Order: sequence, then C-alpha cells, then structure tokens
Amino acid sequence: MGDDRREKHSGSWLGLVLRDVQFWVPVAVLAGGLLVLRWIS
Amino acid sequence: MGAEESGEAPEPGALDTRRLRTLQNVGMLCGLTAGAWLGAAEAPTKLVTLGLSPVVISLSMVIGVFLARWTLPALIQGTSYIAADLRQAPHLIVWAVLAGCLWAVANTLTIFAVRDVGLSIAFPLWNSNSLLGIFWGILFFQELRGADWGRWLGVLGGAVLMFAGATALAIASAAQVPPRDAARGVAAALSAGVLWGTMYIPYRKAYLTGMSPLSFITFFTVGELGMMTTLALTYSGGAAPLWAQLSGARHVLFWLLAGGFVWVVGDLFQQYAVKYAGITRGIPLSNTNQLWGLLWGILVFGELRGASHSVLAHVIGGSVVMAVGAGIIALSSVSRSEHLRWQKAAASEGARYGVDPEYTRSRIAGEGTSSIVRRRTWIDWLVVSVATATIVGFALVARAPQIALQSQWAAVLIVATLGMLVGVGVALWRTTRFN
Repeated sequence: MGDDRREKHSGSWLGLVLRDVQFWVPVAVLAGGLLVLRWIS
Repeated sequence: MGAEESGEAPEPGALDTRRLRTLQNVGMLCGLTAGAWLGAAEAPTKLVTLGLSPVVISLSMVIGVFLARWTLPALIQGTSYIAADLRQAPHLIVWAVLAGCLWAVANTLTIFAVRDVGLSIAFPLWNSNSLLGIFWGILFFQELRGADWGRWLGVLGGAVLMFAGATALAIASAAQVPPRDAARGVAAALSAGVLWGTMYIPYRKAYLTGMSPLSFITFFTVGELGMMTTLALTYSGGAAPLWAQLSGARHVLFWLLAGGFVWVVGDLFQQYAVKYAGITRGIPLSNTNQLWGLLWGILVFGELRGASHSVLAHVIGGSVVMAVGAGIIALSSVSRSEHLRWQKAAASEGARYGVDPEYTRSRIAGEGTSSIVRRRTWIDWLVVSVATATIVGFALVARAPQIALQSQWAAVLIVATLGMLVGVGVALWRTTRFN
C-alpha cells in the first residue's frame, strides 16, 4: 500500500505541500519577520 | 487519565510503556543538553560590540552552521543514508528549506536584540518561542490531546510562568538602555521568538513523518544559507561592500563560525527532543539555554556589572521564574493515550503525503527501517575534509577577540557542556541509533 501511495503522489508532492494550510502559516510569519527586520535595521 | 494509569490493554500498534518512557526520558535529556549548547553558541554574538554589522555576524555564523550541518550527518549517518531517508518523504525538503529561512531571519533579529538590550535580557525574550510552539503543537499535531487535566495544567501553567519571567526581564531592559533602543531590541527579540516558535511546525511535520533529524537539517541549512546570503547582500548594499566587510572582519570570523558550529550541536539535540518528547515538552526544556546564556553573560562577559539591585532582581528573578515554568512543563510527561493521538496525527500526515506507514511507525518508535542502511562513501569523507579545511583556514588567521572575559568561568562552562554532550549522546545512540 505504501509503494502504491508513493507512486501516486510522486509527481505531485509539491502541489500537496502548497495545498497544505499548515504550510502557509510559516510563510506568513517569515514575511512578517522580514518586515520587522527592515524596520529595525 | 492515560491507559497505563487506568490499566487498560494497549491498543494495537502502540508502543509499550517501558519503550515509551525510555524515549521520553532521552527526549527530555536531549532538551536539557540542547539548552547548554544553544546557550554557549550565543556567546560569540558578544563580538557585535566590536562594531561588526549584525548581518555580517549572522552570515558568518550561518556559514559555520552550514559546515556543521553537512559534516555531522556525514560523519554520523553518511550521505547515502540521508538520501535514502529523503526518498521516503521528498516533500519534507520544502519544509526543511522553509524552516531554514525562518531560522536565518530569527538569528539576524537576535543579533540586533543583543546589540540593543544585551544578551541577558534579549535571551529570555526570544525564548518566548516555546509558548508559540506549545500553541502550534496543540493546534496542529494533537499534542496534549487525550492528556489529563494535570498535564494540561502543568504545560499551560508553566507557559504562564515563562511569560511572567519574560515580562520581568523586559521591564529590566528599560532601565539599562535608552528607550528607543530598548523598544527596538525588545521588538527584535520577540519577533525572533515568533519566527523560531513557528519553525517548530516544519520540525514536527518532519518528525511525525519519521524523518531522522540528521537528514532534515541537511536541507534546512540550504534555506538558512540562501536566506542569510540574500539578507547580507541586501543590507550590505551588494556583493562588493559585503566582501569588504567580511575581509575586514577575517580575524574574528573563526569565532563566529565556531559559534554557528556549537549552535548546530545544540539544535541537533533540540530536534531529537522535539521528536521524542514533542514540541510542548522538548522546546521549553531546550529553552533552559536562557540560564546558560545568563551564566555566560554574567560570569564570563561581566554583563550587568554595576547594575542596580532592582535591575539585578528583575533579571535574576525573571530568569528563575522562567526556568521553573520550563521545569513544570517537563514534568508533565506524555501519557500513552496522548502518544496514541500523536500516532494518529502521524498516520494522517503520512496519508496526506503518501509516506510508507511502516517507515513512519518504526521511526516514531526510534527504530531503523530495513530498507535504509548506513554506509559511508568518498562523498562523506570529502564533505568532512572540505569543512575541516575551511574551519582550520579561518582559525589560522584568527586573533583572540579584544573583549574582556573571565577565562576560568569560561573553562568551567565548557567542561560542563562537553560532559552533557558525551553523556546524552551515548544515551541517544543506545536508545535510537540516532534515528
């Protein structure tokens, strides 16, 4: 079953990452961090 | 109440109580060791007082981090093991690079914070990352779900204590530096805390899936170096000015590289703590680096010398309260029922990304998988040789930093830190073979 899953997902793992809501939380925080850095430097 | 307390039969696939306890104990010890090494690694940021740009300091540390993050895994597991691990869960490469970017921005912010409010005060402020880490652990990864009220109280009560301690230290900062610098330094330290607290989302993603920390950090550091190089080029005004600054600072670059190297050792233990004790326990324990930072700052660098009794009371009292909070969280161990929730979260994560369930199951238990074998190739020895030659090269042109320090106290702290490395490293190897 595991091999079947890997084959099924092998070409689309990047798409799965981008559709994962949890991925966008760190992305948003990173953008905020860059803004703070710009302000204090 | 957990199954082990109620006497219920364990569910199929669940770890036995003894193995679960052993893994947790090792995870907790890794958290404490991480604290000692992460605390020691911040000492080189004191060089900022020599007038180096914070961005140059951070870039230099990241170069040391990059060297260490490839050298240690190549030595311990071998790059072929890492490649095989990544083939099991290639999506984690994206998460690792993103985590590295978060780390690089956070590290740069901490150097601004140290410059503006000092190591002793900035340290606990950015350690508020554990509060956010706990929040993400509960929200996304089923941590504390299925735990009894005592464990919830322990973790949340400890978190409140840590916040109170951080507040006391923030108040102390106002008495030490001009108000404008204090506000900027506090903002930098707290922002670093938010970035690092959120960085635990990728960490937990990787370790629920079953990846070895040694594999994760090799791509993590690509994000670190890429982001830090971009920041350095942007804030230095281009490649030529950056090169001029690096050349001018070549006599102290070794110390910053060494700081980055030491940081990686601490971070590696922190990653094992997250894997085996979870975010909610592992991160507060690794945040005992605040106490180590305080020891380095006060004993070795003479920070707070001449400060008023009121400021000292705030700094010491705030640090102790934070440490007590971390201790209470650490005592709220994971019950079997909570661990089953972790396993369900792991299964869900594996299903989402099509990861082999057997790989995930065995790695959560700290075991190896038969499909992945350790062997070293010429690539590993090449990586180690290049990294060693680079560090030796910088060491040859290094001069002792012109900064007053108490060498006896530095020696005591170094011996204690090395002792923890050896003791806990052996325990981790015996229990998990560094899986």
